[in-house]
Amino acid sequence: MKISARFVEKVLCSFIREELHKFGFGKGIIGLSGGLDSSVCAALAARALGGKNVLGMILPYKNTFGEDVKDARALARKLGLRTRLLDISPMVDAYFSRFPTADRVRIGNKMARERMSILYDHSVLEKALILGTSNKTELLIGYGTIHGDMACAINPLGDLYKSQVRALGAYLRLPARILKKMPTAGLWPGQTDEDEIGLSYSELDAILFELVDERRPVKEVIASGFKREAVEKIERMIIGSEFKRKMPPIAKISSRTVGHDFLYSYDRNR
Amino acid sequence: MKVALAQISPHLGDLRKNLELHLDTIAKVRRRKAQLVIFPELSLTGYTLMDLVPGTALDPARHPVFRKLVAASRAIDIVLGFVEERGKGLFYNSAAYLSRGRIIHVHRKAFLPTGGMFEEAKFFAAGKDFRTFATPFGKAGLMVCRDFLSYGAGYLLFSGGADVIIVISAAPGRGLTADAAFATGRMWELMGETVSFFSTAFVLYCNRAGFEDGKAFAGGSFIFGPSGRRLVKAPEAEEDLLVADLRLEDIRAARRKWTFMRDDRPEVILRSLKRIVGNDED
Repeated sequence: MKISARFVEKVLCSFIREELHKFGFGKGIIGLSGGLDSSVCAALAARALGGKNVLGMILPYKNTFGEDVKDARALARKLGLRTRLLDISPMVDAYFSRFPTADRVRIGNKMARERMSILYDHSVLEKALILGTSNKTELLIGYGTIHGDMACAINPLGDLYKSQVRALGAYLRLPARILKKMPTAGLWPGQTDEDEIGLSYSELDAILFELVDERRPVKEVIASGFKREAVEKIERMIIGSEFKRKMPPIAKISSRTVGHDFLYSYDRNR
Repeated sequence: MKVALAQISPHLGDLRKNLELHLDTIAKVRRRKAQLVIFPELSLTGYTLMDLVPGTALDPARHPVFRKLVAASRAIDIVLGFVEERGKGLFYNSAAYLSRGRIIHVHRKAFLPTGGMFEEAKFFAAGKDFRTFATPFGKAGLMVCRDFLSYGAGYLLFSGGADVIIVISAAPGRGLTADAAFATGRMWELMGETVSFFSTAFVLYCNRAGFEDGKAFAGGSFIFGPSGRRLVKAPEAEEDLLVADLRLEDIRAARRKWTFMRDDRPEVILRSLKRIVGNDED
């Protein structure tokens, strides 16, 4: 699980720079939440592209997360990013006035997709590609909104566990407030990932590392000293969220089909 | 002998752009007096080709792009990687050695990694031979990437009397550690050290850099001398142009000290292999 933050920074900055340039873009756009992942991604992007070429979109719902907005703005200033602040409550409230609900997950998902929709519109407006901020932990257990915060053009953080993102954040000298913040999906005030998932990130990352990177079967991971309930729960979460990591299946009926045997790279002819 | 390892990042699926990249690189290393330049695996096409394979495949004897490179080899020896079409519709992941305006040798990758992140056997036919050939610098042998991780393949070039073993590669970096390098870099160097020492031959390993679909090609090209000593190493995961001066007399010196080549018993190996291959049931 240990990383050389210096090496990871070098590889990820080249990734951002090269991938954008291949597609003819010099600018990136990131949804800034004031949390760890988007802050690390923004810091990498600023190093790769120059702060002026990174647009940080701060998209709060009313003033529910006032402190986070402050943190996001302070980080953007420190990194020299351009920012734009937009309250998403008029769009979200307009929808739920037609379909009222108290379901916090539905509301949270709607907010995530509203942000996605704004980021994609700004991607065209600004001729900038969206940098994703979903880390490996979230991707594996499916702790993200499909077509919401998981949507992006490229994702520099997707192969780093949360604890590795934190180590990278410390190396990149992010403000202590951001490094120490309890991770939250921000679906409602007071929510924390660890409470909702029922495991600490250090436990979660250590178990995922055994199951995924080391390819060890559940039984072996339990036998090596991890709690049975935790390992089994994580395995269920991985299996249950497969759909979030895949393009939707296409019914194959012709001789050559998108997603089956029409096989080209994302980067073809770039 | 001055040799250049071109740790480049080719354009995926674009022969014309890659021809330019090769010719520019050749001009650069010629200014630095290199006599041999080595490009990585599939340097003329990029690596993650999949269904682009048929469209980028060429017959090296006829294709105009390849002829430009063969012409360039009048001034400098060139090793490069390309998709070779043989007959009609058989595609190989091949390496060519060009010298003095001629194609001296073509090696077709025999070990096609297929599993995990690799799927080469879905798109390529497998080569069937490892042979050495004469160059201005002594007997040479070619391998493509995964070929080098077979110690049988390394043995065949040794047994064929190779003085210089040239490996071209498009190896993605995998695995993070506390070190400032991918974990897989160690695997290539381990083989480089072993093969160079026990073959008493130079090992020239040229890997590519750049990204394709998120895969980071790990760079880290290197040269080991015939006594198993690493002479040079290019940086990890970034483009580079490394020029090194090799003392070919080191091969004789190594063979005076270590008689592995003299003591080789290929007939024993062959007899045992025939027996093993004959037992097709486990």
